[in-house]
Amino acid sequence: MFEFVNEASEPIKSDLMTVNMGPQHPATHGVLRVEIQTDSEVVARATPHIGYLHRCMEKHCEHLDYRGVIPFTDRLDYLAAMNMEWTYVLAVEKMLKTEVPIRAEYVRVIIGELQRIASHLMFFGTYAIDLGAFTPFLYAFQDRENILRIFEEVSGARLLYNYIWVGGVWNDLTDDHLVRIENFLETFEESIKKYHKLVGENQIFISRTAHVGVISKDQVYDYGLTGPVLRGSGIDWDLRKNRPYSIYDKFEFDVIKGEGLKGQLGDCWDRYYVRMMEMHESIKIIRQALAGIEAGPVMGKVPKIIKPAKGEVYMRTECPRGELGIHLVSDGTKVPYRLKVKSSCFTHVSALGEMAPGMLIADLVASIGSIDIVLGEVDR
Amino acid sequence: MSAEIEIHHLSSTRPQEESLTLGKWFRNIWTGLSTALKGMMITGKYIYGVKPVTIEYPEVREQLPANSRSRLFNDAENCISCYQCATACPVDCIYITATRRDSDAEKIKTKDGTPIRLDLHQYTIDTALCCYCGLCTTVCPTECLTHTTDYEFAQYTLGGFKYDYLAPDIREWRTRLVKD
Repeated sequence: MFEFVNEASEPIKSDLMTVNMGPQHPATHGVLRVEIQTDSEVVARATPHIGYLHRCMEKHCEHLDYRGVIPFTDRLDYLAAMNMEWTYVLAVEKMLKTEVPIRAEYVRVIIGELQRIASHLMFFGTYAIDLGAFTPFLYAFQDRENILRIFEEVSGARLLYNYIWVGGVWNDLTDDHLVRIENFLETFEESIKKYHKLVGENQIFISRTAHVGVISKDQVYDYGLTGPVLRGSGIDWDLRKNRPYSIYDKFEFDVIKGEGLKGQLGDCWDRYYVRMMEMHESIKIIRQALAGIEAGPVMGKVPKIIKPAKGEVYMRTECPRGELGIHLVSDGTKVPYRLKVKSSCFTHVSALGEMAPGMLIADLVASIGSIDIVLGEVDR
Repeated sequence: MSAEIEIHHLSSTRPQEESLTLGKWFRNIWTGLSTALKGMMITGKYIYGVKPVTIEYPEVREQLPANSRSRLFNDAENCISCYQCATACPVDCIYITATRRDSDAEKIKTKDGTPIRLDLHQYTIDTALCCYCGLCTTVCPTECLTHTTDYEFAQYTLGGFKYDYLAPDIREWRTRLVKD
């Protein structure tokens, strides 16, 4: 009788295999290349390589006047362009010490929160695709289309808006728009509960995401992670609440934190949960803004040529994917001396190397999806 | 290099599942089936009575909202060659050439009464470079440069995107694109 004997009686010696995931890979959400060293199906090391979408945005801005930079900030996070513009515009306004009309502030909040919903819907759809479900993607796009249609009517474009300007906003929201936003929220609140039941409570989805890609509180502080990734690890921090900018101090809303409901604290499911529940909070904020909006102009007094005094400002806001920081240096001329963008996605990608060791390759896909990166913001 | 090769025998960091009992096996099947069924109930409602949302493009053409920022059009007769659009453009895709008008030439005005003091010789926009941000249209004092709602302008060559707004064939767009 043949008997197989492993003479060495020790684990079989094996070398690590290097696999490149991306840059053209549907699960990397853009042109991210992750160099993975695997031992069979388990990831030993993952190194994200970035720079495939680098467009020298910061250098470009040193040749443009302050208004001309706004279309470029759109192209940072093209799924949440309104929030990107808003941050930059707030930085310029801080520099100029401009007063913004109260109606413009309300319009900005409504538009910004609608954009947050649109961005989280995009996450919801693509994350479900990453994990093998196609239907949620179509549902998410159907609802996102309503928001984009309103944006298109009010700003003229569907993705790259150039809508929020220094001193106010370009066009005013009409009464018709306000009614339509209200009606949309009515139906959307129902459908978001439905979507959560469809995806978030599905056993297959839970098995793919719970206990996967855990980021502990210490790791969050070490890497400086922000946004839903930070709150998914159970930390109570939201710039809209803790450092209110614009008129966010007027609104009542909760900061959603991960609680480890299905797995452990800070896993992929928690980050998914935070985003889904944040949409409910955005609905709350928009409803309050719709109730409180006042008639008036939407554009304040701004000089024709923007020439801030010598100095520098740093402005940060809570964007759908995390904190966006804009560091603007002026030397007193009509072009910025330096514009530095601190992007949240960039820090999130850097944490991938820490999350990955010991993960299955399929779980790595789930982890990349759950930190929700947009490569336009990573590479700039 | 060979010194770096270690013995690898990694296992997943997922928490080890407890050993399977018969009761647990059935419970797993039940939760899997029931949650899948719940999802199927939601998707099942979309079989009947839901309006299709897809616009079937070549047959059905969507009408864009009135202030959509699509194909640019310059009504050259009302242009006063003020260069403001070229200055505002963040990607520098507007090329203008103009010379001073002779003092004894006939006095002409735009539609809104602004006197034209410069002769326009070239007004070209390279729309392949254009980022459709709309900054040029907002600074235009006579509102001759506008974004239209025309979105079907594919070309076979890159050069086809250079619109010379003084050329007669492009001037003809006016009747089709611009609503007064």
